[in-house]
Amino acid sequence: MRAFPFQLLPSLWAWRNRTRTRERGDLLRASLFGCVGLCVYTVLVLGSMWLTTQLTTYAELGDFLLRLGLSWLFLTCLSFLAFSGIVTSLSTFFLSEDLRLLFAAPLAGDRLFYARFARTIAQASWMVVALVAPVLVGIGLARSASPAYYLTAIAAVVPFAVIPVACGSAVTLLLVNIFPARRARDLLMLMGLVFAGSIVLLLRYIQPEQLLRVESLPDVMAFFSTLQSPVTPLLPSFWAGEMLFASLQGRSDNLHAAALWTTAMGVTILLRGAAGRWHFAGYSKSQEARKARFARHLVVERIVNAMPMSTVRRALLIKDVKVFLRDVTQWSQLLLLLALVLIYLYNFRVLDLDRIPSMGAMLKNAYAFLNLGLAGLVMATVTVRFVFPAVSSEGPAFWIVRTAPVTFRDFLWSKYWAGLVPVACLTTALTVAANELLGVDPFLKLLTTTAIVFMSVALVGLAIGLGACYPRFDADNANQVAGSFGGVAFMIASVFFVLVTIALLGWPSSVYLFHQSRHRAIPVLQQILMMLCFASALALSLGTWWYSMRTGIAALNRLDRA
Amino acid sequence: MISLQQLVKKYGAFTAVDGISLDVSPGELHGFLGPNGAGKSTTFRMVAGLLKPTAGRVLVNGADMATDPETAKASLGFIPDRPFLYEKLTAGEFLRFHGGLYGMKERLIATRVRDMLALFELTDWEHQLVESFSHGMKQRLVMSAAFMHEPRAVLVDEPMVGLDPRGAQLIKAVFRRMTDRGVAILMSTHTLEVAEEMCDRVSIVLKGRIIVQGTVEEIRTMSGNSHEQLTPLFLRLTGGSGLQELDEAVA
Repeated sequence: MRAFPFQLLPSLWAWRNRTRTRERGDLLRASLFGCVGLCVYTVLVLGSMWLTTQLTTYAELGDFLLRLGLSWLFLTCLSFLAFSGIVTSLSTFFLSEDLRLLFAAPLAGDRLFYARFARTIAQASWMVVALVAPVLVGIGLARSASPAYYLTAIAAVVPFAVIPVACGSAVTLLLVNIFPARRARDLLMLMGLVFAGSIVLLLRYIQPEQLLRVESLPDVMAFFSTLQSPVTPLLPSFWAGEMLFASLQGRSDNLHAAALWTTAMGVTILLRGAAGRWHFAGYSKSQEARKARFARHLVVERIVNAMPMSTVRRALLIKDVKVFLRDVTQWSQLLLLLALVLIYLYNFRVLDLDRIPSMGAMLKNAYAFLNLGLAGLVMATVTVRFVFPAVSSEGPAFWIVRTAPVTFRDFLWSKYWAGLVPVACLTTALTVAANELLGVDPFLKLLTTTAIVFMSVALVGLAIGLGACYPRFDADNANQVAGSFGGVAFMIASVFFVLVTIALLGWPSSVYLFHQSRHRAIPVLQQILMMLCFASALALSLGTWWYSMRTGIAALNRLDRA
Repeated sequence: MISLQQLVKKYGAFTAVDGISLDVSPGELHGFLGPNGAGKSTTFRMVAGLLKPTAGRVLVNGADMATDPETAKASLGFIPDRPFLYEKLTAGEFLRFHGGLYGMKERLIATRVRDMLALFELTDWEHQLVESFSHGMKQRLVMSAAFMHEPRAVLVDEPMVGLDPRGAQLIKAVFRRMTDRGVAILMSTHTLEVAEEMCDRVSIVLKGRIIVQGTVEEIRTMSGNSHEQLTPLFLRLTGGSGLQELDEAVA
């Protein structure tokens, strides 16, 4: 019988075959993602280099902070990896389609386990590792570290990734066997909420805002001890941080290296034992979940039925909402998004801009525009993931719409409203909450709130329109649609749209605030130019919305005649 | 070769399979018939080792699927109704991977891949991605994989769905050749003409239980009409054709 890596071959072969075939937009997509990736890597390497160089000037205190920083870095990664392990293992061990093929084959339980576990580790940790690597490289470059440091980094990161993923997989194994098997969706929801909560708690625990108030602390040592409180020597994050710090100083920390490796091997062996006992039972149960009980969502029907719309649009809307609510993948990603939004708002809450009284008001108003831009980008991301695939999500069932007495105009408008309401609510709430937390000028509050509503109208229209122009009815999931040529084109267009809108609103707002702060009247010519800018922003939003929807309807009509 | 002993599967309060017992001897093609929702696919998934039975045993070539699954699965070929295929692999790669999963040696895999692709008329498609295959071609590829490791028993769930007449004829010929070589085949089908033409014995399942078992002739005799075709017989045994209800609904 072949060793377990043999089971990983289809992924490698599939990857090789995929790189050999060229699809429309591949070059654009690769260039865009390549540039973004390169920028992120450069920023991370240079940022960590700069920070480490700054810390070096503080001698022992700098060393202490660097040591603390490494532990923080790994502590943050630890929670991400554990959660990622839970979600990924649910897919790799229980829900993956190829399990039907593998379970039917005469594979030894151990080999199946090791192959799935290797896949889980790779899928759950690649993103974290990809982000940690440039940071560690930056630190190494700043401290002129020897090659041994980079080898130590690999030796620390590998077992460090294994431990939380193994723990996450164990949690999944336990939950799938304990919970009623038909509640996979509830399970994911629970996990998502736990993760969102844990991130907020972690941030609260670390209290990064204290860094901004360091001068207000009477006792520097007390400050450091508050920072150190979550870093417990019992966690793998601490061991990995210590290993790397020792290596930076030209020493080798064998104790923590041994702790990392033995724990990684120990949890793997324990997980293998548990999987041998409960994996098949859990898999068997998870198959029963396919025919799971489902919520009837009568409330949804009542709400939609109460809305003033045609029967056709109502039927389409009810179908879309129900399909969305019953799709586990949609829910779990929405919860992750919620966690990010909470962190985003939390940052505004703890931002202490009054510490520079002369700059406070100006900074707040500048942040209001930064917030508008970020909300616009959040909107673009949410829209490309949840709204852009709306037409493609009909998939092979699109024939039902095509053969029904439904106009594409009705069809697309139904999709539009189903996307607009949640996106507008989310981003408006985000903008209003952040502005309140910042305490920006009332004029800017009104302006940015109005702007975000119109931006929602435009970007949802753009997403629906481009989604209809570039449908992917053969896609396996919404992520695939979002990453297609049309999805990438939408992202580029929406980023451009957000930047132009902010430029059109930013200049007149700054003129208004400048004159207001000096209690001067705005000259008439400037007033006219300001009105022109506001009108242009409005026209840009409405034009984008109208043209996109019109183009989308025309594209679907062409598709029908093709 | 395939032995099911008092097999039971419950989903909560619902019993999908309720004490099914049957034996398929070497060289026998056994038809497993029943209306939709009768428990055929659930039974097959338990026999294939994909689903844990609530009670009962599955033996394949004498090996217990619960206690010695590797030995049992090594003797079994499984052709599911909705097979999983790696869409981004070529037909050749898929078969080579399949051979590896069943522990075949490299040299044997190469020979068998060639033979199976030739047998199922897929030689020209060896280096094409599975995603470009039609439904019938995918079905034939899955069958190539199922027969590749020369199983002693084969489990086939709805083999004729989506096949053109030539493909269907080909599959029938392959099944006949395999049973001649002593392979036991347990086949689920809705195409009663195929069952009537090919099966040595049939079991008719209703609500998770086998209600009739035997050769087609034996079943006819049991029903009291030795000249009756299998289709009206099946409809009568499994609760009528629904034509009367149709008349009432239309009237």
